[in-house]
Amino acid sequence: MLTVRGLKKSYGSKVAVDGVSFEIGKSEVFAILGPNGAGKTTTLKCVLGLRRPDSGEIKLAGSFSYLPEEKNLYPYLRVKDTVDLFERIGKNFKREKAISSLEKYGIDPKLKVSELSHGMKTLTYLSLVLAEDVDLYVLDEPTWGLDPLARSDVLNALRSLTYEGKSVLYTSHILSEVEKVADRILIMKAGKAIIQGYLDDVKASYKLVVSERELDGYLLKRTKKELIYLVRVDRIPEGVEVRDASFEEIFEAIVRGERDVA
Amino acid sequence: MWFRIDFHSSKPIYEQIKEGIKLLVLSGKLREGEFLPSIRSLAEDLGVNLNTVARAYRELVMEGVLEVRRGEGYVVANTKREVLQSFLEDALRNVLKDCKTAGISEERVIEIVREVYGGEGGC
Repeated sequence: MLTVRGLKKSYGSKVAVDGVSFEIGKSEVFAILGPNGAGKTTTLKCVLGLRRPDSGEIKLAGSFSYLPEEKNLYPYLRVKDTVDLFERIGKNFKREKAISSLEKYGIDPKLKVSELSHGMKTLTYLSLVLAEDVDLYVLDEPTWGLDPLARSDVLNALRSLTYEGKSVLYTSHILSEVEKVADRILIMKAGKAIIQGYLDDVKASYKLVVSERELDGYLLKRTKKELIYLVRVDRIPEGVEVRDASFEEIFEAIVRGERDVA
Repeated sequence: MWFRIDFHSSKPIYEQIKEGIKLLVLSGKLREGEFLPSIRSLAEDLGVNLNTVARAYRELVMEGVLEVRRGEGYVVANTKREVLQSFLEDALRNVLKDCKTAGISEERVIEIVREVYGGEGGC
């Protein structure tokens, strides 16, 4: 569906994306995670051709639609006029799908975009982007500003796209949400991919180790007497206390960690 | 078909699905030769991704718990109960290790086992 190899992009002397590679299969939800400024949005923009990569290879087989990070629609247009606009410029826009999605979220088509709350604006934009019948949906922070119920509806909507053979590439800050919906993840830090794979495999690959001395691993925290490390399951030393690691702990330890891994 | 999936558990979701299905077979709610829901239908019921259910089914086929009927779907195979039970035994072993570390005596553990099984060690 999508293959990215060795993607690099700098803005002036600032390296935004530094050699990122990943691929997304059919019917997959792929999430890019990472702290602010990690290079997530730039990666999406390169995939979409909105930024020209300095080097690397991007192969996208199929059509796509895109939800940008800034959910800017024309503020003076009514929601229904915005639907008309998307229908005119869209490639394969399903009007009924957009209308029924707006109805589900309780958005009055007669309202002007400027009268919508942040969450409502996100839901409106998302309804329009998901109404495009395409192969890959590229969504930058699709649940930004949503309440828990709306967020859950959106996650279900993303998942049902994959039931129809569509793929989703999206970015998020919210780990608990990613755990619910992503097949594969890529964690970025300072432009680099520091970890990636099937979420289930990532979870199974690490344990927490409670140790009194320093050892080889990502330090999660230190107490007065102990050090708590995140360690790959195949590198756990003998005779230490081992505990399960949550995805949040894996993320925190690796993103905070000073060591980088390939 | 439904059982609860804990998305925030450190146990992979496909593992949770495999264990859920094994428990349904062990409790007799799923019988030998019976069809499982399609991958899509179970994914919808549990609120998980297609690939995750597909992986669980694939591994259950490898373990001999399920069989593929071409063009029809997955059915419960004739599996030894011990194979289905082994994940529970592993869990029990881990709890027992914790009990040992916590200083609970073997006699006490056996007492609890008798209590649960209701008498003279029969099962």
